[in-house]
Amino acid sequence: MDACLAVDHEVDKVLSKFGDIRRSYSDGLQDLIENLENIKNNLQTNNTNDEICKPSMAQIKEIIDKSKDETQKLAVEHRELHSTVSKVGKAIDRNFVADFAATCKDDIFSKPENTVYLNQIVCQHFYRQGMNDIAEELLKESGTIMEPNFKEPFIKLNSIKESLQKKDIYPALEWAKENRTVLENQMYPPYPLIKRFSTASQLPIRIPYHIKRNKFSGGIMKPRPKTKKIKRLELAKKILQQFYTSSSLEFKLHQLAFLTIIQKGVEHQTEAVAYARANFSQFADKYEKEIQTMMGMLLFVPQGINKSPYSDIIKDNLWDEVNELFTRDACTLLGISFDSLLNVSINAGCAALPALLNIKHVMTQRKVGDIWKGKDELPIEIDLDTDHRYHSMFACPILRQQSSDSNPPMRLICGHIISKDALQKLGTTNKLKCPYCPMEQSSSEAKHICF
Amino acid sequence: MSDLKSLEHPTLKVPYEVLNKKFRTTQKILDREVSHFQNAVQEFERNMSSDVDMTDTSHISSLLSGMVEKLKVLKRKADEGINDELQAGMVCKKRLEHLKEHSSPCEAIVQNWRRRRLDRMLVEYFLRCGYYNSANKLANYSDLNDLTNIDLFMISKEVEQSLANHETAKCLAWCHDNRSKLRKLGSTMEFNLRIQEFIELVRQDKRLDAVKHARKYISTFEDTRLDEVQLCMVLLAFPTDTEISPYKEMFEETRWLRLIDQFRQENYNLYQLSSQSVFTVALQAGLSALKTPYPFILYLTCYSELKEARNASCPVCQEWFNMLARPLPFAHCSQSRLFCSISGLPLNENNIPMVLPNGYVYGEQALVEMANKNNGQIICPKTKELFWLKQAEKVYVM
Repeated sequence: MDACLAVDHEVDKVLSKFGDIRRSYSDGLQDLIENLENIKNNLQTNNTNDEICKPSMAQIKEIIDKSKDETQKLAVEHRELHSTVSKVGKAIDRNFVADFAATCKDDIFSKPENTVYLNQIVCQHFYRQGMNDIAEELLKESGTIMEPNFKEPFIKLNSIKESLQKKDIYPALEWAKENRTVLENQMYPPYPLIKRFSTASQLPIRIPYHIKRNKFSGGIMKPRPKTKKIKRLELAKKILQQFYTSSSLEFKLHQLAFLTIIQKGVEHQTEAVAYARANFSQFADKYEKEIQTMMGMLLFVPQGINKSPYSDIIKDNLWDEVNELFTRDACTLLGISFDSLLNVSINAGCAALPALLNIKHVMTQRKVGDIWKGKDELPIEIDLDTDHRYHSMFACPILRQQSSDSNPPMRLICGHIISKDALQKLGTTNKLKCPYCPMEQSSSEAKHICF
Repeated sequence: MSDLKSLEHPTLKVPYEVLNKKFRTTQKILDREVSHFQNAVQEFERNMSSDVDMTDTSHISSLLSGMVEKLKVLKRKADEGINDELQAGMVCKKRLEHLKEHSSPCEAIVQNWRRRRLDRMLVEYFLRCGYYNSANKLANYSDLNDLTNIDLFMISKEVEQSLANHETAKCLAWCHDNRSKLRKLGSTMEFNLRIQEFIELVRQDKRLDAVKHARKYISTFEDTRLDEVQLCMVLLAFPTDTEISPYKEMFEETRWLRLIDQFRQENYNLYQLSSQSVFTVALQAGLSALKTPYPFILYLTCYSELKEARNASCPVCQEWFNMLARPLPFAHCSQSRLFCSISGLPLNENNIPMVLPNGYVYGEQALVEMANKNNGQIICPKTKELFWLKQAEKVYVM
């Protein structure tokens, strides 16, 4: 922001000075022109009379001298503005970084196959935003080929969203009906944050393993009777269903439709009842409570629902909620993310670049060498906000290294977690003391864990 | 350092260079017109002093009207020039106003600003790739014509096209326009163009014309680039289908493509644009910052073998981004950042990490909630193994 203000200051100076020079000279030059023309006219009208001409000679001289000075001054003063103009350039150079490209490897994105990927990404972004003609123009110009039916789901998604914005639920309702079975099998964890994380729904329910007794159970638990495979599968399904919730989009849409009818007033109440009869019965087991509330509203139709105890249900944010629900469901079905990925990455990049430029600056000053040399890791940690953290990252608290294939996190029996490399370095002999507590164990007792 | 500071240099620098150029041309015009006027004045004064016969008013008035004409021209040119300068200044101002929105307290404005920033970056990326129509459409759609350097690239588009048609005139005109700056940058553009003209003449077997051309244009470069001049004069001695190494290449069509590349590069230099677009730079940095290491443990990384295990919200997990990000470095991590993969909540003292007997770690909150709904039984969502909540044990991450 300071950077902006500094440049802004200089630009303002330039603008005001140019404004001044224009004002002062356009008038001055106009005067001179008029004076000279007057004299000329005088001369032409009075060309017979010498007496009148004589004094005008001095006048002419004066005016000509004046105009000479004025024009000279114009050129000089304009030239003097140069310093003001160049100050803008200097302010820009001082306050903004010119060689931001120094932080990135050249030519990574310029390979032909990567250009194709990049263009596909940009196209997908445009389709998502509903900017179809731009996406198509880009495809045409860059010669990128997308699968022919790639754009259709996006176009549909956008048109449904648009109609939702216009408070028309029917396209969305139709979509929900079409995809009913898939939507019912969705498993959303009961947390709003989850859109950042992979959900269980993406994995098929497999037959769960039989529980084995092992060290961790510590013998607290009674051994479970052996159940048949099919029973275990049912149990697993039940647990998952209890915990995860399926999509409520269709019901919410019906709810909205019902609420719209009921708000029209008394004369539409039979219509509302008919609608409820036609549509709510299928949701009876899942949304019993909600249906009860809605039917309760019928009592208050004559007074107006706004004054009833149900007034907070009909607030406008129900539309936003449905909109969000629809976006989530549609995106999950399409296998795409809630936000535009390009947007996410660029925002992350914009957050990361200043830090990278800083470290680059320091590294060149200290002559540490090239920022990328030999490393397949960024030289510093980029502080992205939690919204941008999509994966857990474990760094060994002893070696300060990120865990990897060959260096996974291990859990000591006391519960402390260190990396495998650190474990090996600590436990030269068979006995190993936990670095954080007095517990002793043998290194073979450490267990592999996974976040 | 903020992201404005590190990314918006070209946004401001280009209109500044335009302003600077406008200033120089206006100054030149003013100087010329002023000297014209001064000459007229001098002539008038000479006439006044030498001519004793002052009665010849018609002569005087004609001199006077000449001066008036000159003065009028001066005024018109000065007005035009200063107006141009003011306009160029206003472009700078407009862009600054746009950049200032970045730190607006209103969240919606900032979001909108970010969206437009992405569009601006894309416009520039398109222009650099030569997708001019897409760039135009996007700029019109998002109303970015004043905020992007679209004009600059449109001019260069014409030159590039003429070069692609094997014409040098437009590019030479461009060289002439920016001569002083190009000289300062040590540009070889004009030299290379002249050489190319020479080659074309030789190709058409107009060798005598070629020699004349060389005498006229290339000889001026003799003192600085004698080697290349000699190399090119040798062409006169060879047939156009020669197989001898440096000369064969000089006859190739690809030399024109190289000229286009050079032109692009010099045009960027002229306006101090970097060789990479802001878009690719930001994307690279972003992907690096989001990228997690190569498959180490299932479910943890962007490069997990299992497709289902990847995270649909993470850009780097998505196929196309994934391919792009392959050569990029990983995010650095010296402090563990752990999240419960059921709830997405961070694992910390409020949400203690618990390990299941199969080695998977989840947050306490999610596990307790799941157990409450199922009489103490839980299921590992990743392996679908059944456990009791009692089996989960606390782990401590330092």
